[in-house]
Amino acid sequence: MNGPFTKNTLSRRQALFGAAGIAALAVAGCSNSSGGKSGGDLSGNRDGAMAKYGVGDQFKATSPLTFSIMVLSNPGYPYDAKWPFWSELTKRTNVSFQPTVVPLSDYNQKRSVMVGAGDAPTIIPKTYHPAEEAYIASGAILPVSDYLDLMPNFKDKVAKWNLQGDLDQLREADGKYYLLPGLHQDVWADYSIAVRTDILQKLNIAVPQTWDDVHAMLRTMKAAYPNQYPLSDRWSSPGPGPGANRLMATLGDAYGTWAGWNYQHSWWDATAGKFVYTGAMDQYKQVLQYLNTLVSEKLMDPESLTQTDDQAKQKWANGQTFVISTNAQEVINTLRKDIAHIPGATVAKIPVPMGPMGATKTGFRTENGVMISAKARNSKNFVAMMQFIDWLWYSDAGELFAKWGIEGTTYTGSVDDGTFKLAPDVTWAGLNPSGTQNLQVKYGFFNGVFAYGGSTKLLDSQFPPEELAFQNVMNGRRTLPLPPPHPLSADQREQATLWETNLLDYVDQQSAKFILGQRPLSQWDQYVTELKGRNSDQYINLINQAYQSYKQKHG
Amino acid sequence: MVTISELRPGRKAPAPPARVRIKPSRGYRVFQVVNAVILIGVVVATLYPFVNILAQSFSSESAIRQGSVNLIPHGFNLTTYKTVMKDSTFWTNYRNTVEYTVVATFISMVLTTCYAYVLSKHHLKGRSVLIGIAVFTMFFNGGLIPNYVLVSQLGLRNTLWAIVLPNAINVFNLLVMKAFFESLPGELEEAAAVDGLTTYGILWRIVLPLSKAVIATMILFYAVSFWNSWFSAFLYMDRSDLFPVTVYLRNLIAGATGAGGMNEGTSSDTSLQVAASIQAVTVVLTVIPILSIYPFIQKYFVSGVMLGAVKG
Repeated sequence: MNGPFTKNTLSRRQALFGAAGIAALAVAGCSNSSGGKSGGDLSGNRDGAMAKYGVGDQFKATSPLTFSIMVLSNPGYPYDAKWPFWSELTKRTNVSFQPTVVPLSDYNQKRSVMVGAGDAPTIIPKTYHPAEEAYIASGAILPVSDYLDLMPNFKDKVAKWNLQGDLDQLREADGKYYLLPGLHQDVWADYSIAVRTDILQKLNIAVPQTWDDVHAMLRTMKAAYPNQYPLSDRWSSPGPGPGANRLMATLGDAYGTWAGWNYQHSWWDATAGKFVYTGAMDQYKQVLQYLNTLVSEKLMDPESLTQTDDQAKQKWANGQTFVISTNAQEVINTLRKDIAHIPGATVAKIPVPMGPMGATKTGFRTENGVMISAKARNSKNFVAMMQFIDWLWYSDAGELFAKWGIEGTTYTGSVDDGTFKLAPDVTWAGLNPSGTQNLQVKYGFFNGVFAYGGSTKLLDSQFPPEELAFQNVMNGRRTLPLPPPHPLSADQREQATLWETNLLDYVDQQSAKFILGQRPLSQWDQYVTELKGRNSDQYINLINQAYQSYKQKHG
Repeated sequence: MVTISELRPGRKAPAPPARVRIKPSRGYRVFQVVNAVILIGVVVATLYPFVNILAQSFSSESAIRQGSVNLIPHGFNLTTYKTVMKDSTFWTNYRNTVEYTVVATFISMVLTTCYAYVLSKHHLKGRSVLIGIAVFTMFFNGGLIPNYVLVSQLGLRNTLWAIVLPNAINVFNLLVMKAFFESLPGELEEAAAVDGLTTYGILWRIVLPLSKAVIATMILFYAVSFWNSWFSAFLYMDRSDLFPVTVYLRNLIAGATGAGGMNEGTSSDTSLQVAASIQAVTVVLTVIPILSIYPFIQKYFVSGVMLGAVKG
């Protein structure tokens, strides 16, 4: 019987047509509208824009405009079209949104599909660097660094807060960056360890200042409760990191390396003037050594590296453990509530313990931000859109609005002089717990899509007094400089990614073994050789080359 | 043994000897015990998570945090149920799920039945091409982005049809139905044709009534798969009032636990955790409809999968 599957050779004609078809499909998949002119003449794109718009001006479009935007729906406060946020925004700026609502659980995937299909909304927020790098090659997103002249508030904050070095981290090999990040005045230190302060009191232990103090504290706790592990940590997934990844990151900061969630393959060695491979550093070994000591003295639960958050929280809730990694929100939402049933139990987040690096803090002052579709460049409302984004995300008034809402309705007072207060019935996180209307759920303010970044005063207005005390201590610490930019070209990035994946797997695996004592730290040199066998040297050479060439081209 | 004397008239016939029971061999009894133990173990392992979720849905949040909820609720309360049921988005999404499932199942059944019936006729011209097309799609797929572009350009986005049409015919189900139709005796249809029925008449009056088992099975297969599907809706729907309840549920559960680790530092919203009790309640409410139908139709599943497997 004849049919398409009985022939086992293609005729030449069929093969040629097939090849042409595949080639046509491949080309059709490419975007046919690149960014167009970059920078360049904007006279045809000024519809709706304000003729004079500068720092401190309220943006108001000269005609009603609509912009399409991707909105992430957080299950804690799901998207609601009736939020006062939308209506008030339109009232103030004459701009309304046409939202594409995407659930938080799969935001990245939908974004990839939409951008890949050439169908993405104009404004794509909630993008974490380096996710935007995947879209650059296809020309789907705008090199925003070319259009900063349209964004006076953004430029003002960069200059005022000296953020040039942080922005340089986002630059690609062509010297431009493609993401408008959230800007913070100062590094926001949020994570540390939480301890049961009632146990500290009972055992007469002072609040630990250094990691050695922490070690001593854990020993004392163990002596008093020999059948328990005083520390059982969480946040072992997702990676990077071998487990207990937030604790590793905090320790990394203290010892002067990248570890856990902060892990990056290259560390800038300022004295040597070059990058070195993080997983092979002495300081990284010291982090592993510290944790290994805790595990071998039975002070840290070895399951910290593998257990789920729920398991760790259960041990905390049952009073089996007294120390756990945390951030400000978790203390209020989880830790305190969990131990409420234990009489006299209290918890506090202690200022980050210090290590060999002393009273310093590391961090980026840029955070997730906004990507803009390249096709927006050709829209006649382009300038108006840039001004609008500048106002909402980067002006003091816009940031305040997105975060706290409407003066008189959702809050009173000012954040600049400490008189700020939420309206009596409005509640958010730890503030105003007696309120019945949740700021995020009912009003749509303080939404992670629009409200982030800002001055330290704006940030401080969201902290209850205990967190403010923590922030005051951390603000007194010196912020360490960031590594110099070393962006890779697309080909280099491909090769680097191959190496990185392999290396990260191995580093995480071996780190876990070292911490748990399954592999003695005396084999460290052997481990470093094994890393070299996995191309760690080639990788670091690539990074150093990229650093040198960027330095030459862009100074 | 019956003696002659006992056969004299007037006496009742003696009772027949008691049925002799075949005693199962010891090996068989051992097998029965071991079998029962293993199967009970499997049942427990399968049922335990569900009973656990059910218990959690009735428990207080602090009891769940302490991990003290196993099979019985601790701190029994109905407030979580009330909270979830008051959420209008939940009910909108639930209604969407029912709508999508009903419409999609109906359309899928019509299309699959027609296609399968046609393919079961050996004298159809181009039959092998039609089968080839169907089987081809089992192995090859355009990919995520081309499918998205296709559906988008057909204008199906944000409509029910984006969920119903691309997944309308499941080739596995198609082949099972085809095999079943082939197993029906051709003489029946010939006799009906002699009596004057058209092709459609034969299909509607003769073939379908005989196929109740396979149709019920396929309805169940399709209904369950559409009820559980979230990916198409997530991909093609841009408005939250069009999501089915599975997307709502996925956001609650997967969204609450998966925060981008390395970037968590500065974003204040990723640390929000939806209470475990709310997750449990939503799971229970989503599962109840399918769970209530299953026991009554599951006998079709068992016989349905093997339908058409043995000819003649």
